[in-house]
This record gives sequence, C-alpha cells and structure tokens, in this order.
Amino acid sequence: MAKTVVLKIKRQVNPDAEPRWEEFELTWKSGMNVISAMMEIAANPVTRSGQPTTPVAYDSNCLEEVCGSCAMLINGKARMACSALVDKLEQPVRVEPLSKFPLVRDLAVDRSVLFENLKRVKAWVPVDGTYDLGSGPRVYPTEQEEAYPMSRCISCCCCMEACPQFNESTGFVGAATIAQVRLFNQHPTGKALKHERLQALMGDGGIQECGFAQNCVEVCPKDIPLTKAISDTGREVMKQAFKDFFRG
Amino acid sequence: MATATTTIKRGVPPLQAGQGRSFFWRRLHSLSGIVPVGAFLLEHFVSNAFATNGPFAYRDQVKFLTSLPFVPVLEIFGIYLPLLYHALYGFYIWFRGQTNVNDYPWAGNFMYSAQRWTGAVAFIYIGWHTYTMRFTGTHLMGSGAQAAFNKVQVEMHNPWALAFYIVGITAASWHFAYGLYLFAAKWGITVSAKSRKYFGMACTAIAVTLIAVGLATIWAFVGPKWPNTPEKLPAEQTTLDGNRH
Ligand code: SF4
Ligand code: SF4
Ligand code: FES
Repeated sequence: MAKTVVLKIKRQVNPDAEPRWEEFELTWKSGMNVISAMMEIAANPVTRSGQPTTPVAYDSNCLEEVCGSCAMLINGKARMACSALVDKLEQPVRVEPLSKFPLVRDLAVDRSVLFENLKRVKAWVPVDGTYDLGSGPRVYPTEQEEAYPMSRCISCCCCMEACPQFNESTGFVGAATIAQVRLFNQHPTGKALKHERLQALMGDGGIQECGFAQNCVEVCPKDIPLTKAISDTGREVMKQAFKDFFRG
Repeated sequence: MATATTTIKRGVPPLQAGQGRSFFWRRLHSLSGIVPVGAFLLEHFVSNAFATNGPFAYRDQVKFLTSLPFVPVLEIFGIYLPLLYHALYGFYIWFRGQTNVNDYPWAGNFMYSAQRWTGAVAFIYIGWHTYTMRFTGTHLMGSGAQAAFNKVQVEMHNPWALAFYIVGITAASWHFAYGLYLFAAKWGITVSAKSRKYFGMACTAIAVTLIAVGLATIWAFVGPKWPNTPEKLPAEQTTLDGNRH
C-alpha cells in the first residue's frame, strides 16, 4: 500500500454550531504541506471512513508564508499552515482553528482585532498632505537594519494566539502591535505620532499586560525580535508616562 | 473586515487606547516587588543569617531591628501594605492570564507559570511565618530579643514546619530572582537578547545564593552547633553548651 498521511481536522459549520472532528487519509506526496493537503481534501472531500463531506474552509493566499492568512493550530501550536511541511509533523496531524479569535467556519477565524489595534496605535506614517512634501529625511543603514525585521510582520496573529496574556479578560493588545509601535516610532516621519502611540499603549490592555512569557517570539514565523521590541517600548512608554506626569 | 468603523463584538476586545488606570497599577505591582518587598526580603535574609554566628549575634540583630525608630510605621507601610498589595494584585494578574505551558512547553512560558506558583507558595508561607513569629508566642520586642533563637529553634523541631521553611524560602528566592529578571525586561533595562541572557544568569545566581543563605541559616537552628538554646540567654561570657567562647 502507498504511504499515506492522516489529518485530524476540527470542523464547525458556523460560529454557533458544535465543533466535530473529521479524519482524512491522503496519499503521501513529497513536499506536502497542510494547505496542499487540504486542497487535496477539497478535490475529493471524503473522510477516512468513507463518509462524503464538504471541503474544509480556511484562509490562505500566498502559499509562501508572506501573506499571513493561513495561521492555525497545528498539533496544538499556532503556525502558518502553508509552511507546515507534513513530513516534519507528528502523525496524525491535528489541525484546529486559532482558539482566541471569533470563528467564522472550520479553520477560518476573524482576526480583525489586530487591524483595529493597529489603528488604535496609529501604526502608520502621517503623510496625508495635499501637496508634495518632497523626499523624506534620510534613513541610515544602521536604522534600516533595526527597522527591517519589524517591518516583516505579516499580521498572522500567531504571537497573540500563543500569548497567555492575550485573552478576553485582559484585552491585551498583543506583541505584533507593540512591535509596530516600535517600528513607526523609529521612522523619521512616523515619529511625529510617537507620543500618541505610547500614550495609547498605556491604556487598559496595553503593554503593561505583557507577562514576558516569551511565547510570541518563539512562534513568530517571521522571527521578529518581539521581546526586544516589547522591552524597548516598555521603556519608552514609561518615559512618556513620567513626561506626561511631571511636565504635563 | 476593513469597514470604516470596525465593531468587534466577540473575542478579545481591542486596546482601550489611553483609557483606564491599569498601567499605573500594573507597573506599581512590578515595582513593589523590588522595593520595598524585595528589599525587605534581602534584609530579612541577611538579618536571619546572623544566626549562623550564634544565639548572641542573633539576639543583637533582633534587638537592632526592633529598636529602629517608628517600627510600627515601617512595618505597616514598608512591609504589610506593599506585600499585601503585591500578593493580592498578583493573584488578580494570575487569574486573568491563561497559562498554556502544555501547548507551548518553552522556558520563558514555564517561568511565567512558575512565577505565579512560587508567588502563591511564598504568600501562604509568609502568612503563616508572620503569624507564628510576629503575632503569636513570645514577643521579640525589647528584652524579648534574646528569646528569638529559641523561638525559631523550637518551631523548627516540628519536621513539617521545617519542611515548610525550606519550601517557602526556595519559593520566595526564586520568585524574587525571576521578578528581577522580569522587571529589567519589562521596564526596558535589558532590551537586547544578549543582556537578557546574561542578566538571566545573574538572576539564577541570585536565586541560588539566597537559597544557600536560607539553608545555612536553617542549619544554624537545627544543626548540632547550638542545640536546645534556652529562651533566656545566659550572660554573654558563659559558654553555651561549650560552644560559645
Ligand atoms: S512576552 Fe509573553 S506575555 Fe508578552 S506578548 Fe509575548 S507571549 Fe505575550
Ligand atoms: S509579529 Fe510575527 S507572529 Fe505576530 S503577527 Fe507579526 S508575523 Fe505574525
Ligand atoms: S498562505 Fe500566505 S502565509 Fe500561508
């Protein structure tokens, strides 16, 4: 018999339905990843026991770990499904939706909280003038090197899912947003909003909620130095708090 | 997802930008663990280590501490209130977190959980220790100072109490040392991964040192050097079981 792989996928037809597990057995192919496995299931949606079922719903796009849409729990850990090579996973491969985001269907979840958080800290460079401002200030290579890793964030939300502090009772903002504050505060034009971003991070659910468990930096698929960004921003927020108090 | 006004009704709520007071209380919690609670812990370890110089040295140290000016004020505002705040707010932090070491069994995450457990153990231990040493039995104020060695020694005759001392000292040492590490990381003192690594080693050394000092102190009470020290110490010159000269 040909070599096979087994996937156990948690299914849920809608946000209010009861979840259920389905097992699939597929013929092994070299270089298979969790998304390609689910594409095969979609082509032939039959469970291991021969029951016909529906294709699995999930988000994905780039298939090369740059769009950030395919985050899910694979064998219990948050990671990108498109770069999760089946050969490197323990069988049967357990696939579940991210647990801390509202479920849409099957493995698709609503991660708009990150987008909302990024808006609340003004994670952008304010250049909305009506006329040409000319070229911006020069960014030196040393600064570029510091900024670049943080600019690689793909908004996958893995860092938030794995964080023990990111949950409904803390309302913690999560590591990704803090790293983006660090990034935009460093930008020569983005700096204009530095104090607003730092003040935003002092709010409830802000940077203080981080318990420094360091899961975020472990799971981040883009190897963003998140703990460094949190520590650095922690200092800046503290400085801002003192400034606000003593200088008004 | 990208509508002009996103309203998030389910799941983790977004950041309450600039709203609320939790930043102040949480940072105060972090700071209170270092001063005054951590500072008191160090003082307490050092003071008790005087027991390793025998009952007389121990009595003198107790005398010195109990004769400090404004002792009740120091106790209430330097120890009890900060300690209670640190402990109770700590439990509040614990219950709102969502430990997940089973899924993510990594060092930092393990320490995150351990910080909560050691804190709880230390708190229960400190509660019991304060009750038996400060609020019951012979009062150690004034001339009571000389009874201090005896009081601790008698308590440690009970093997359960002795075990609790060892567990409590270990938990408190661990909690304090890792608390230093967390403080430096969160307040942006050890920003780079390298500095955090080296400071982590330093904190481990601090934990080991504190535990060693604690055990040496316990040994002074339970070891063979000063057995059955009486409540009323004899005059300084006389020998105590032939060991003090
Ligand atoms: S360090 Fe820990 S608590 Fe802080 S954001 Fe990362 S995972 Fe969450
Ligand atoms: S910081 Fe890393 S884990 Fe978090 S959203 Fe960005 S890419 Fe994903
Ligand atoms: S599909 Fe784009 S990151 Fe996986």
